[in-house]
Amino acid sequence: MPDGMLEIDGLTRRYGDVVALDGLSFAVGAGELFGFVGRNGAGKTTTMRIVLGVLAADAGDVRFDGSPLTFESRRRIGYMPEERGLYPKMRVAEQLAYLGELHGMTDAAARASARHWLARFDLQERGDDELQSLSHGNQQRVQLAAALVFSPTVLVLDEPFAGLDPLAVDVMSAVLREQADAGIPVIFSSHELELVERLCDRVGIIDRGSIVACGTVDELRAGGRERRWVDVPEAPTGWDPQVPGTRLVQTVGSRSLFELDPGVDDQALLQAALATGPVREFEPVEPSLSELFRTVIEEAGG
Amino acid sequence: MNARSLRLGGTRRLPTTFLVARREVRMRLRSRVFIGGTIVMAVLVVVGIVAASLLAGRTTPLRVGFSGGSQALERSFTATAAALGANVTVSDIADVTAGKAQVTAGTLDVLVTGSETAPTAVAKAAIPSNVESALSMAAEAARLSDAGLSPAAVTSAMALVPVQLLQPPNPKNNENLFASLALGILLWIALGQYGNMVAQGVVEEKATRIMEILLATIQPSRLLAGKVIGIGLVGLLQLTIVGAAALVAVHVTNVAAIPALGVASILGDIFWFLLGFLFYATAYAAVASLVSRQEEVQSAVAPIGILQIAAYLLVYAALPNPTGPLATVCSLLPPFAPILMAVRMADIDVPFWQVGLAIALTVASIVGLTWLAGRIYANAAMRLGTRVRFMDAFRG
Repeated sequence: MPDGMLEIDGLTRRYGDVVALDGLSFAVGAGELFGFVGRNGAGKTTTMRIVLGVLAADAGDVRFDGSPLTFESRRRIGYMPEERGLYPKMRVAEQLAYLGELHGMTDAAARASARHWLARFDLQERGDDELQSLSHGNQQRVQLAAALVFSPTVLVLDEPFAGLDPLAVDVMSAVLREQADAGIPVIFSSHELELVERLCDRVGIIDRGSIVACGTVDELRAGGRERRWVDVPEAPTGWDPQVPGTRLVQTVGSRSLFELDPGVDDQALLQAALATGPVREFEPVEPSLSELFRTVIEEAGG
Repeated sequence: MNARSLRLGGTRRLPTTFLVARREVRMRLRSRVFIGGTIVMAVLVVVGIVAASLLAGRTTPLRVGFSGGSQALERSFTATAAALGANVTVSDIADVTAGKAQVTAGTLDVLVTGSETAPTAVAKAAIPSNVESALSMAAEAARLSDAGLSPAAVTSAMALVPVQLLQPPNPKNNENLFASLALGILLWIALGQYGNMVAQGVVEEKATRIMEILLATIQPSRLLAGKVIGIGLVGLLQLTIVGAAALVAVHVTNVAAIPALGVASILGDIFWFLLGFLFYATAYAAVASLVSRQEEVQSAVAPIGILQIAAYLLVYAALPNPTGPLATVCSLLPPFAPILMAVRMADIDVPFWQVGLAIALTVASIVGLTWLAGRIYANAAMRLGTRVRFMDAFRG
């Protein structure tokens, strides 16, 4: 059924005895910005390479719009590999136009699109310069332009934010959001979890070759444990009432952070706090994606 | 045809192989290395030809001046000299002293003085033996005629001894063979150069990691074919420029007769060069994709270089007996055919079926090699660091 969705279904890949991907599955809908996070070596790059067809899977399928990817449909995927690569001695505009033509554009359209993207990234003055004469950050922008120049139907970006300055991060974020809003699936990997949390519609956490958690950040939170900050100035140092189902995580001055097991009533903890004297603060804490990530990885046995 | 379509593009979508080849041509024609290299090669070839013409000495006619009674010898001397293969011009010299001065000054090569029947030759150094013989025979004929023999009797008395050859001479003369051999070997060396260029280009794409983007949009065999064709065209252009410079230099210095290299033989050499290039360049590309860094290219392509040298040595082994089994069999095999068959064709009339078979085998092996190289290329492209073993790359 044509739905503009990118589906990754049961990918398995071994390198010799090492299992890189172990039945990995997830889907990215049309118009969705999907963050792909995981430790180094978890299988993110391998997954992306298989999606792009530069690496073959031992088992599993990648489908787009309901049908398995073919060479022709893969050509419509914009790709930014982890290992950046363009011709260092080729002129920037010419290089982008060349890549556009390789992806099936006409000469005229490719040139126009190369100009458009260079202007979008504020590089219109550098079109006739050799790529190697550009700064690292500008080369990275050209690399992104190379993935966008042929108006892709899917975007796959491996660590697009690595090594970018804050302004470049803003431009990159805006472009990714724009592309998703234009109705294509956008998937990118990153270690910048705050950025992923802020930017992505959905997040997939990968560990040792399979997805261990997948959903919106709120959905991931729902699966995690709730936390409370409790400020009890009269209580003795290291205060821990040992309410069943709660655990002291840390103490900062008179403030203590407790973690609650699922389903535990926080009122028992509040009453124990009131028993020590005044309670200045009793506040639920939403775990950040970084905290969720650590929890998920720990629970997965990492 | 409008300007748009002249720019090879316009509003049409072009085949990826063509796009890759076009990029190779554009980038290389623009590079200082290519422009400088072509100029240096052309200059070296021209300098070499001029130097050869100076070392080989004169190819201009020998100037022979006749004074006094010896002037009667001019006609018969010219005819005899032509029969003996000497290139001469004759002139009348009025004054012997002035003539000797001309010989000393180098504006005249030989001065003949004295009478028709007893001439004397004056020269600065030695006279070519065939010129000396022609002069002696002319004087001898004059003496026989003076002794009362009829012109017919003189002619029959002076007749050259006919030579009967038991082995019919090779219809393709030696000059043709050596010129073709020289061209073939130069092209063979050029082929190694361009093959190395292909290898460097492949490793560049691997080392700069653009390979990953390219392979996501173009089949490896097409990427490879485009690269080989592009570099081949650039090489052909470079050879044409250098070859044209060489032809002009040869023509101006008159060091050798240009027709020695027939058009057919030049076209034949170029045809085989192209087949050889496609064969070897594809092989160079395949092995180059097994390594990741420029420093490793040389050792990776060494086996192909050895194969090329083997083919070159086979030329010398096969040349003495161009119809023997060694020459015949090896000239059919793809790694050797491009040079061996070219040389055999310059030397003898090779049976049509052998030429056809050699072409068919070479073309088939180029197609097979392109497929194999594409497979190795795709599987080896994503592996960086250590050198990839051939069988691993083949299996994927």
